[in-house]
Amino acid sequence: MKIVVCIKQVPATSDAKIDPETKRIVREGVKAVLNPFDTYAVEEAVQLRARFGGEVIALTMGPERAAIALKECISVGADRGVLHADRAIAGSDTWATSYVLSQAILAIGGVDLVLCGKQAIDGDTAQVGPGIAAHLGWLQATYVMKVDDATATGLRVRRMHEDGYDVCDVDFPAVLTVVKDINVPRIPTLRGRLAAEKAEIPVWKPADIGCAPELIGLDGSPTRVVRTQPPPPRSGTTTVLDGSARDSARALVAELRRRSIL
Amino acid sequence: MQIRSESDKAGFRNVWVVAEVLSGKVQPVTHELLGAARPLADARGSEVWAVVLGSGVADGAPALAAYGADAVVVVDDARLAGFTDEVEARVLCRLIDEHRPEIVLCGATTRGRALIPRVAVMARAGLTADCTELGIDPENGDLLQTRPAFGGNILATIRCSSHRPQMSTVRPRVMKAPAPDPSRRARILRADVTPSDASLLKRVVEVFHDANAAFNLADAPIIVSGGRGMKGPDGFELLKRLAARVGGAVGASRAAVDAGWIPYTHQVGQTGQTVQTQVYVACAISGQIQHLVGMQSSDLIVAIDKNPDTPMMKMADIAVVGDVFEVVPALIDEIPKL
Amino acid sequence: MRHHIENRIYHVEILPPKQDTEKLMDDLAAFTEKFNRVMASGYCACITDNAMGLLAFQGHECIEELGLEAKPDQVMIHLNTFHTKANLDEILATCKRLGIANLLVISGDGSDRLPKLSPADVGATDTAAVTSVELLRYIRREHGSFFHLGVAFNPYEPADHEDEKMERKLAAGAEFVITQPIIERNARVDALLRKHPDLPVIVEAWMSKKLHLLSDAVGYTIPEDTAFDPIATLKSLHLIYPKCGVYLSLLGFKTQYDLIKDTWVVEGGAQ
Repeated sequence: MKIVVCIKQVPATSDAKIDPETKRIVREGVKAVLNPFDTYAVEEAVQLRARFGGEVIALTMGPERAAIALKECISVGADRGVLHADRAIAGSDTWATSYVLSQAILAIGGVDLVLCGKQAIDGDTAQVGPGIAAHLGWLQATYVMKVDDATATGLRVRRMHEDGYDVCDVDFPAVLTVVKDINVPRIPTLRGRLAAEKAEIPVWKPADIGCAPELIGLDGSPTRVVRTQPPPPRSGTTTVLDGSARDSARALVAELRRRSIL
Repeated sequence: MQIRSESDKAGFRNVWVVAEVLSGKVQPVTHELLGAARPLADARGSEVWAVVLGSGVADGAPALAAYGADAVVVVDDARLAGFTDEVEARVLCRLIDEHRPEIVLCGATTRGRALIPRVAVMARAGLTADCTELGIDPENGDLLQTRPAFGGNILATIRCSSHRPQMSTVRPRVMKAPAPDPSRRARILRADVTPSDASLLKRVVEVFHDANAAFNLADAPIIVSGGRGMKGPDGFELLKRLAARVGGAVGASRAAVDAGWIPYTHQVGQTGQTVQTQVYVACAISGQIQHLVGMQSSDLIVAIDKNPDTPMMKMADIAVVGDVFEVVPALIDEIPKL
Repeated sequence: MRHHIENRIYHVEILPPKQDTEKLMDDLAAFTEKFNRVMASGYCACITDNAMGLLAFQGHECIEELGLEAKPDQVMIHLNTFHTKANLDEILATCKRLGIANLLVISGDGSDRLPKLSPADVGATDTAAVTSVELLRYIRREHGSFFHLGVAFNPYEPADHEDEKMERKLAAGAEFVITQPIIERNARVDALLRKHPDLPVIVEAWMSKKLHLLSDAVGYTIPEDTAFDPIATLKSLHLIYPKCGVYLSLLGFKTQYDLIKDTWVVEGGAQ
């Protein structure tokens, strides 16, 4: 079973600060880590390889330092990593990102299964996984909470929904996005980490794998961020309800109703 | 598709809402989106259309008119039973190609977030997830989409000026559903699933409805959370009843989890989950900083505590001074009377 | 642990390299240097377990992979409840193999990445969540009296709750106590000493000048303009608590290490 896990390096904390002058996100001094949701995808891939043999390849698109996130995948069992880094892909939105990743998956060749975390904690879009499946024209299963059964030709998975879950059979090749419930990711051992430290990460460029220049980077991205701003501050005032329990409950319910919450 | 001229742009009209229908029932998010679509269509001088895809969904379609749909496209086909997103995506793409909507809105539910990115890629369209605000740029008619990013710490405004349709997802309960007007009527258009649409098909074997099985604290619109002041597991049983009444989830402070009253998966805070919910009801939680950082981005914070001077009571939007064991039962009592 | 106190053996906290470090080899070298220095000084190296929920490598694997010479009585491994069962058993087995018997058993800080022991993992049936108490019971049950088990005492938590928890920790097999950092006489620590005169208590001395970190650790705000001299505070703690050991957190190995060798002076004590 040949499995590609698409991962992303993200700021370690979701606490972003905005530069008051430039109105841009301050990334300096914020540590970069492997997107937490992706760790479940890596773990599932490593567990599937343990049962069926094959290869687990971690793939990412990002700056050169994203190689560290790939090494993190190797430290928990991925066989190798592929980094896609080039100035031409800067500014890619989810459309262009999923395009580049899909082309890289084709270039890797012979891939049965692509695994992604359900979303990245910086963008929170959850669009790249289904986007890759769309570019490839493959089957997809999103929010996968459990792999019930696996064979060399496909998986039976549970997809999580707000109202429960469903069970579906997905033939390879396919793209899955996974949620936390699916497994308990292992923490890298020092031994695994030392091995990853020695791993060589090849750097690919979009031109090398036949990406159309007009479909990548800013040019290839339909969406544009016009501006970013901090959210409106909390009002800062506290409404105190200190009557009887019954009166307070009534006042609170009325307020929740006024805000269309109930 | 990519827009190369103003006449290209003018070829796209109307605001579409992709309906979510579960077990034959139109979900509230669809009504909310119809409400959000109306001012956009008015600003563009165009119509609101709903698109209903599924098996056995035709009967519910006309009722969408009451929420503002001028037309409803119905694709009712047994091959859409369960949730076969690949097929739905192909059908939607064909419909988009045929009718050229200017804007497509969809609920940011697990199903919407599976389907719409696939459609956006196939239609070469821009897609913005989890919008909290949608408006029309008066200068050029583009859709302006505002969404929170980086854990809600910033709001980004996004536009897609050179591609149509402009696509957005919106989380449930973010927009307000309009009051239904039963006298409104909509044109009903029928469309089919073609054999080519259905050629990429996964098999949905079984569907389980279990609201609790899949419940994720971070996705809950309302969290009723308890601290050490809940005194024991029984206190959390009380909170569970309140949460069930308001369609929310139960959270907990580390003190309550450490005391063994509720499992760790419910823990909110620096060492638990960070949540960003519409309403956070903190019951007898003093509000250590470790807890506050995990919930302070919530839209509305309600605190209930005997002590009016705790950090939580000070930061709350609404602070109810009282015994949780009196206030919470009173709340449970008051809510069904609505 | 009593003999550590009697022999004025400092407990020196060492943080193992973080999982997300971008300079692992440097960090491992620094860890090795600190560890060896503590061994040579005759102190006890206390190695944290994902402190503050920040993922780090484990003490036992650092010692083993780096081939460090661990003098068994001079090492203390922190062990919290954020592990898989397999991982927990592996840590305990490795410590046993290395002869490391001193464990500080704490509930610890979790994070999104860290798995949490479930009650079933440690054979607990009367709780929804594993705390240090359940972990202590498990270690005692599985490994008898091999390990010397310590627990944490937080004098900044509400008294009734923390004291009741301390009794449960002691009943579950705790043999010594390490407090949260204190910078002056603390009434709650005094009360603990009165209640358990024979219990070895080690007070934590804050050796960093970063008071905001201390505020985070103790859970209340210490004004940033407080004049704070860690070495002077350490000396005064010895005088206030002559029967207690001292755990040095965030000790500066470059600037402070050489200064502490003569600080453990007890009034009227032989020196």
